[in-house]
Amino acid sequence: MDIQFLFDTFLELLGGVPLTLQLAISSVCAGFVLAMVLALFCASGIPFLDWFARLYFFVFRGTPLLVQLFLIYYGLSQFEAIRSSFLWPILREPYWCALIAFTMNTAAYAGSILYGGMLAVPYGQVEAARVCGMKRTIIFRRIVLPLALRQALPAYGNELISMVKATSLASIITLMEVTGTAARIVSESYRAIEVFVAAGVIYLMINFLLTRGIHMLEYQFSPRVPAQNNSRNIAVGGQL
Amino acid sequence: MMGNKTSTPYALEVRNLHKRFGALDVLKGVSLAAKEGEVVSILGSSGSGKSTLLRCINLLEMPDDGEIIVDGDRIELAKKRDGRTCAKDQRQVDRIRSELGMVFQSFNLWSHKTILENLIEAPVHVQKRPRAECIEEAEGLLAKVGIADKRHYYPSHLSGGQQQRAAIARALAMRPKAMLFDEPTSALDPELVGEVLKTMRILAEEGRTMLVVTHEMGFARDVSSRVIFLHQGAIEEDGSPADVFGNTRSERVRQFIKGHNH
Repeated sequence: MDIQFLFDTFLELLGGVPLTLQLAISSVCAGFVLAMVLALFCASGIPFLDWFARLYFFVFRGTPLLVQLFLIYYGLSQFEAIRSSFLWPILREPYWCALIAFTMNTAAYAGSILYGGMLAVPYGQVEAARVCGMKRTIIFRRIVLPLALRQALPAYGNELISMVKATSLASIITLMEVTGTAARIVSESYRAIEVFVAAGVIYLMINFLLTRGIHMLEYQFSPRVPAQNNSRNIAVGGQL
Repeated sequence: MMGNKTSTPYALEVRNLHKRFGALDVLKGVSLAAKEGEVVSILGSSGSGKSTLLRCINLLEMPDDGEIIVDGDRIELAKKRDGRTCAKDQRQVDRIRSELGMVFQSFNLWSHKTILENLIEAPVHVQKRPRAECIEEAEGLLAKVGIADKRHYYPSHLSGGQQQRAAIARALAMRPKAMLFDEPTSALDPELVGEVLKTMRILAEEGRTMLVVTHEMGFARDVSSRVIFLHQGAIEEDGSPADVFGNTRSERVRQFIKGHNH
């Protein structure tokens, strides 16, 4: 193994990090919003919405992300109606296709995780809110949602890690993020070990920071005994 | 909204309440009334319908038939097409609920909020009272139930007795017209029961209207103004503690009391 080459490759691959992060962060944020809508559909008690969300979970969790990506990138362009529609400027770009596929995929996982979190909220705490005369919307916002999010955090953290790694699939539809860049270097240098080791190290570093962040959030939202001397100063306003 | 005010001498009144769960008749026409400042204890063996009765009063369970009147305000019920009952006006239900403080067997404090946050949550977000005022009042209530030093703790760091006292303070923070207690000491270790009962005695002495479902015979005998004994969804006995504990006509009540006085 050539250490100098490894180091140079590493620096070159860092150039792909912004795109990797951009794909991961954008799809996770948009996916979270979509996931929340889907989880609410499940919890709504309205059969059609519930059924729709469950079908969505089934389809997007039951098929490979790569297949979803291919369907959107290669599949949609088959249709003349789409090629001539206002969506074409978006759907012909690999970046947007990747983003759409990642978003819809993570929404399915995150949606079922969030719904699971909502189911795990102890019913007694909801009843306690009802007997205070709280309206459904307030109960959801102030009681159910914070408890559900805290409950869902560990599983959701796993999903975030998966998404960071899943962005590597974007390389297959020509995007030059970390893995795409790595594949290009390999095809030029024929030195797969150094290049993919360097790429792996980059993903490890991103996910190391991510897991630290998730741990901090979990700690932040866990009940803790206040420090004795400044218990008066712990802000009452600091709730979720 | 207030058009259905009826004049009644009672702070809380229930007339002819019926509740079925499927084929099971849980309440078969229960009526009871509590005057302002009265403490009514509801006794009965497991499955007699005591908790269901209490939960019907603030519509945690929807009664199939009957009337519920809180401070002259009768809860308006309607029949759905499938024959089930529903509230006609959810806002009225929410308002009446906010006037009834409820204490649960399992405390049900909000686990993601500190004790003080638990106390001010509903006053701030339901009653829309100024936050500072709510905090001040909440701290007074916590001092009253003896856990002022725990105000910034989360529920999971408190003992069962402390949690239940916090739950009582949370109910009081709404300035309720009446308090409903659903077996408030049944989930507690025996040595923690006393501190909760002591808090409830203080409230009774203050002249609060209280409906208490309990197995604590000592509390029912010493603190109540009236004792009601439920059996299979109907009132078997209704009288002063002296009547019910001293010279009941019902053999069933006598057996029950004997069984609970160890």
